Amino acid sequence: MKQVEDAEILKKFSDVKTRDEAFNLLLNKYQQKIYWHIRRLVIDHDDTDDLVQDVFIKVWKNLDNFRSDSQLYTWIYRIATNESITFLNKQKQRNNTPLDEVSGELEETLVASSHFDGDRIQMKLQKALLTLPEKQRLIFNMKYFDDLKYEEIAEITGTSVGALKASFHIAVKKIETFMLNEDITF
Amino acid sequence: MEENLEHRDWMKGIKETGFTAPSNYFDELNESIRARLVTERLKAVVPADGFAVPEGYFDQLNATVLTKTSGKKATESKIVRLWRSNVLKYASAACFVIIAGLGVYFNNEQQLVVRQSVRADLAAEQMLFDIDEDVIIEHIEANYKEEKQSASDAELENYILNNYSQSDLTGIL
Repeated sequence: MKQVEDAEILKKFSDVKTRDEAFNLLLNKYQQKIYWHIRRLVIDHDDTDDLVQDVFIKVWKNLDNFRSDSQLYTWIYRIATNESITFLNKQKQRNNTPLDEVSGELEETLVASSHFDGDRIQMKLQKALLTLPEKQRLIFNMKYFDDLKYEEIAEITGTSVGALKASFHIAVKKIETFMLNEDITF
Repeated sequence: MEENLEHRDWMKGIKETGFTAPSNYFDELNESIRARLVTERLKAVVPADGFAVPEGYFDQLNATVLTKTSGKKATESKIVRLWRSNVLKYASAACFVIIAGLGVYFNNEQQLVVRQSVRADLAAEQMLFDIDEDVIIEHIEANYKEEKQSASDAELENYILNNYSQSDLTGIL
């Protein structure tokens, strides 16, 4: 299916008559990207489902105020990232986990998940990712799985490109060490 | 011939291109190349994350979100004026001035009372200092004698005889 341009979606959304149609196009274009982005952060499918709905309802409510000086997809990614981090922080508060550490609950969820089709190596990579601080995990996911550019990640996270590069390099080193310690060579 | 050319003044610095690189660029470049090599090798082994969704999930998600948004208007954020009219604005300003004024007034009053109390203490001390030492000693001795004379010998004798037995007195002596 041919993807509709963001400009066309925004134009249609600004007209009350074509607003619903525009939002349907937006959902078709971005729902999977946003779902996977959130899923990689919060791990659990049901939590992701709740969050992805919250994100698109926020998008619906605020799309009128969207300024075209940033790209539509980075704006939606930013909302999704903020919602996910808020959710993870609440989860940590519940478990008395310090905010800069990853909640142990996520690994338990990963292991117990019925919606994980990955093989042994994919599971190891996810476990390696769960040893990283939240921000490094976020940056690694966006570079590795979403193929986003540093400039785009900078717009989403509000972090400088230099700091992002440093975080990504550290994350890669940690993951390499983790995988080698697990006897996974690549 | 070539050697001569390289040593001529106008040739000096001709190898400079005028291009510059950002500071620390070459330190970062090593790290960037290394990170790319590692991730490319890793991607060959782990190309996807391994997560899955229930069948038909995305069609259902689309419908769920549209149900929640249809019928609801995309809300435009309203700007609520804090000060709806000038009357409220001036009344609030007046209240603030009155409260601030009362605060300053009571603070001054309290300071005045403290100052007066300090002055009275100083005056009393100064008065005692001005009295001659002999006068004070005479005054204390006179009071002491008066206290000593407050009970007569006969009264003391009666008190002892009434409150102590013969054996108590013998024991004490």
